[in-house]
Amino acid sequence: MTAAPAGPGPDDTTARPDAPQQPTGGPIGRSVPRLHDDRLLRGQGRFTDDIDDGTALHAVVLRSPVAHGRLTRFDAGAARADGRAVLVLGPDEIARHTRPLPTVWRIRGQRQDTIELAPRTVRYAGQPVGLVVAAGRAEAEDVAELVETGYEPLPAVVGTDAALADGAPLVHPEYGGNTAGSARFGDSEDEVERALAGAAHVVTRELGVQRVAYTSLETRALLAEWTPGTEQLTVWAGTQVPHPFRYGLARALRLRVDQVRVAVPDLGGAFGGKTVLHADETLVCLAARLLGRRVAWTEDRAEALTASYQGRGMSATARLGLDADGRFVALDAHITGDVGAFVSQAGTGPFQVAAQAIEGPYRFGRAGASVRAVWTNAVPTGAYRGYGMQEACWIRERLVAEAARELGLPAAELRRRNLIGPEELPYTTRTFSTYDTGDYPRALHSAEQAVADAPRVREGRIRRGAAAVPSIEATGYGPTSLLEAAGMEAGGWESGRIRVNEDGTVTVFAGVVAMGQGIETALAQIVADRLGVPLGLVAVRLGDTDTTPRSEFSSQASRSVVVAGGALMRAGARMRERMHALAASLLETSAEDVRLDVEGEDEPVFRAAKTSRTATWAQVAHRGWLGWGRPDPDRIVLEETVDFDPPGLTYAYAAHAAAVAVDLDTGQITVEGYWAFSDSGPLVNPMIAEGQIAGAVAQGLGIALTEEAALDPSTGLPLTTSLRDYELPAPATVPTALHLSHTSTPGTVAPGGFKGLGEGGMLPAPVVVANAVADAVPEIARRLERTPLSPYRVWTMLRDAGLATG
Amino acid sequence: MSLRKGSVVKPPVFEYMAPATVEETVRALARHGARAAPLAGGQSLVPLLNRRRVRPDVVVDLGRVAGLDTVRVADGAVRIGALARLRTLERHETLGAALPVLRQTVRLVAHPQIRTRATLGGSLCHADPAAELPALAVALGARLRLAGAGGERELDAEEFFRPGRTARRPGELLTEITLPLRDGFTHRFVEIPRHAHGGLPLVGVCAGTRREADGTVTAARIAAAGAADRPLRLRGAERALTGGPLTEEAVARALDAAASAAAPPADPHGDAAYRTALLRTALRRALAAAPHPGTDPKERA
Repeated sequence: MTAAPAGPGPDDTTARPDAPQQPTGGPIGRSVPRLHDDRLLRGQGRFTDDIDDGTALHAVVLRSPVAHGRLTRFDAGAARADGRAVLVLGPDEIARHTRPLPTVWRIRGQRQDTIELAPRTVRYAGQPVGLVVAAGRAEAEDVAELVETGYEPLPAVVGTDAALADGAPLVHPEYGGNTAGSARFGDSEDEVERALAGAAHVVTRELGVQRVAYTSLETRALLAEWTPGTEQLTVWAGTQVPHPFRYGLARALRLRVDQVRVAVPDLGGAFGGKTVLHADETLVCLAARLLGRRVAWTEDRAEALTASYQGRGMSATARLGLDADGRFVALDAHITGDVGAFVSQAGTGPFQVAAQAIEGPYRFGRAGASVRAVWTNAVPTGAYRGYGMQEACWIRERLVAEAARELGLPAAELRRRNLIGPEELPYTTRTFSTYDTGDYPRALHSAEQAVADAPRVREGRIRRGAAAVPSIEATGYGPTSLLEAAGMEAGGWESGRIRVNEDGTVTVFAGVVAMGQGIETALAQIVADRLGVPLGLVAVRLGDTDTTPRSEFSSQASRSVVVAGGALMRAGARMRERMHALAASLLETSAEDVRLDVEGEDEPVFRAAKTSRTATWAQVAHRGWLGWGRPDPDRIVLEETVDFDPPGLTYAYAAHAAAVAVDLDTGQITVEGYWAFSDSGPLVNPMIAEGQIAGAVAQGLGIALTEEAALDPSTGLPLTTSLRDYELPAPATVPTALHLSHTSTPGTVAPGGFKGLGEGGMLPAPVVVANAVADAVPEIARRLERTPLSPYRVWTMLRDAGLATG
Repeated sequence: MSLRKGSVVKPPVFEYMAPATVEETVRALARHGARAAPLAGGQSLVPLLNRRRVRPDVVVDLGRVAGLDTVRVADGAVRIGALARLRTLERHETLGAALPVLRQTVRLVAHPQIRTRATLGGSLCHADPAAELPALAVALGARLRLAGAGGERELDAEEFFRPGRTARRPGELLTEITLPLRDGFTHRFVEIPRHAHGGLPLVGVCAGTRREADGTVTAARIAAAGAADRPLRLRGAERALTGGPLTEEAVARALDAAASAAAPPADPHGDAAYRTALLRTALRRALAAAPHPGTDPKERA
């Protein structure tokens, strides 16, 4: 991987002088190594599975072997008689001890407002129906095999087409249909139809994005402990959202929230898969509560691939209308979202975001998108990295590329005519997104230049082609009022707390969670920068409902630096002021006369300019906690807490380019070169940012080429139950010619002008690969409508086009 | 083996034995018959145990059996102990010089981490029909030595691999593999994995030819992986190539013969037509005089 300079145009940070609280040349903007890497790389990580000292009992979740059926028999007699069983829970006991989980993000018309923990009617293969606890995992597996179950099979509804067909079996008969809810974004259908009717050219495609599994290195894991004396439930959990996790657990187990503590140890990846409380996790906590013991559970890879919620699963009928000059007069998408067996907490959100983000960086005369969320007998879907926006990018940029091909126009020229220019910002789209800052044409131009000389080969058995596409990422979710208006039970604010301790060390508390993305380092850099102290003084505490600020979204949706970082930018400024005032009182001078001197990692020293008297940072902190010499009689505790509710979303953007080779004999696609030109405002730590983008590109290539959580079309049973069949992108999937570069246009929403970047790298990756394949093999361009572009699928297209004979 | 309290291991309980000699091993295997599972490198068995897909009463760990990991090159043959690790074969200088196709093929198997544990005998006994080493053994005409309670026997690779299984009887232990060095032969293994970047093999072809100075093919030995329910010797293709130069016509006849012999499986990674097309491609590439463009031994687009 190389960090190549960007294409034409200035490449360095171009901070505007009026941007709020610009970085000062301190720790912000430096590629310091991640604070936890040394420990993690030495094998000193402490993940959930590492916590127990051998006293915990082990749980195995009993799961439905059928995609749809009624549980007619649950006989735990033999299992309980085995002697090794410590606890066996079936649906009846579970129902007796619990309430269902609440839903969070509902779509209009959605009547399913709870999630059953262990229903008697099972709706996906892998759905929990019970739990077994024994001394060890193997014993629990043995006992689980002794539980006798019987199912009355019901017809499985596999895929949204089947779900919406006339006479389709109903996943939830009580609701009278398989549509969970629907919504329209942007211009009305009538208005868009009128605009399309007046278009000189209309491109229509059926575009889809497959279901994918999260596949974090560490699967979901839980250690739950109920202390009978104090009636406290302590849960160490691999979750991205400790507070909603606690809320859901307390609701389900009929506890007060202050009886439950959720603590997040080291977390080995998440990608959105750990943003909700799953039913099986709740059952493990129930077992601990009933037993008054520690109960451990670590999902195995088969469960991770089949019973953890999944991502994506969308299809759309999409149309792009152009006038005679190639201007986009209308865009319409009818999106069908496969929510699976029930609407999970994240539920229909990804599909709604796809509709909301349908326009990307272009101007359209009219634009709108409809969402229909559909129940099927598959594991529910939820929030997967870049959700909605990746699907929207796939729809939009396939349409644009196909329009260019059909019209015989260079795609670059077509995009140029329709891109929103920097002079038009801020710009509000037809779906009411207001883009704040950026220069989309410049990013795209850089990407186009990067592949201008890439090989284009349209003869022989190895074809070569290239493409470039722009994308936009809504980051910093989000204004609480926006979430409220969207019917989402969540607040978008973050709270940041800075405590200067009595020895001068600094402890930072934030509501976001470290899951391998490096946020603890970035927040430490922000606080050190704002206070003017060495990075080594700052420790960051995250992910513990007893000590860290409440957060609804925590770390997801490219928001941690924007919102939590934004809160800490302000808290840091306040704390800096207080420390200077305390120093002034000690040095018997005015705050304006005090300067904080820092030499490397040495302890900082306050110096009075007039008298040259000095006091160390630690001395000032110590006096502060004694309450001596305080300027304000009512403020003693050296803590500053700021709640930051972002006034809007802030829009990062990028343009990616790919050069590919297509082997006509095998259908295999090789990505030979990849370029990402990103702008997420000022970067707190460019090295971490590059890691995020490179990883997201790799994950995007997985969607493009290899990954698919597949079901048997007749039985609904999962076909991809191990990493043998669920194929992840490999190191060799990502070209060594991976070029990442940045511009830095500050946003106007967050202090520091930060924009998010955790997800942006994956948004354009699938479609830029597909468009490059279309460039290499235009004979099959029309059929590149769904990912993954697996060799077998591509070869089938090639054969049908008369290009592959074998 | 008893499980530690609180242990996170997942297989059903089994008895664990670690014999030190071939004799002890054979006695143990004979005693438990089909209820025993020999454990070599563990790269296939351990995942199967963890998923409870196999449930042996006894796991016989071969790791401490002395003398089963030797590699000898002498008397016109290579003799490899069944427990030789793939990583050893990959790095063995004498072996690499004597039989370059073995090193080339081993490098197509899985990843270095797996090859560090995996053994040649384990791979042959696991006998995945799409795996590389069984097809290589058939193409090279390997002889496999099996030790049992009643003594030893030796089988040709083609006899050893049966539809969906091997000829190894419960109680038998594969001890040694002999690969004859055929004068004048050059071999090449071409594999087409699931993706351009690699991944599990879909189809592979090991093709060996002996050619006169004028280009006439005087002998050919060809076998395919992933083309049937066992590694498949492609005799029709061998006949089509033998007796004349490697002309386009001869190659085309060989491809047709290979395709008509193939009976590949169908799954979400490809139907029989796709796999047959890949077989033709792999054979064509294996026969191509010059290496295919790209230096990576894994065929890349």
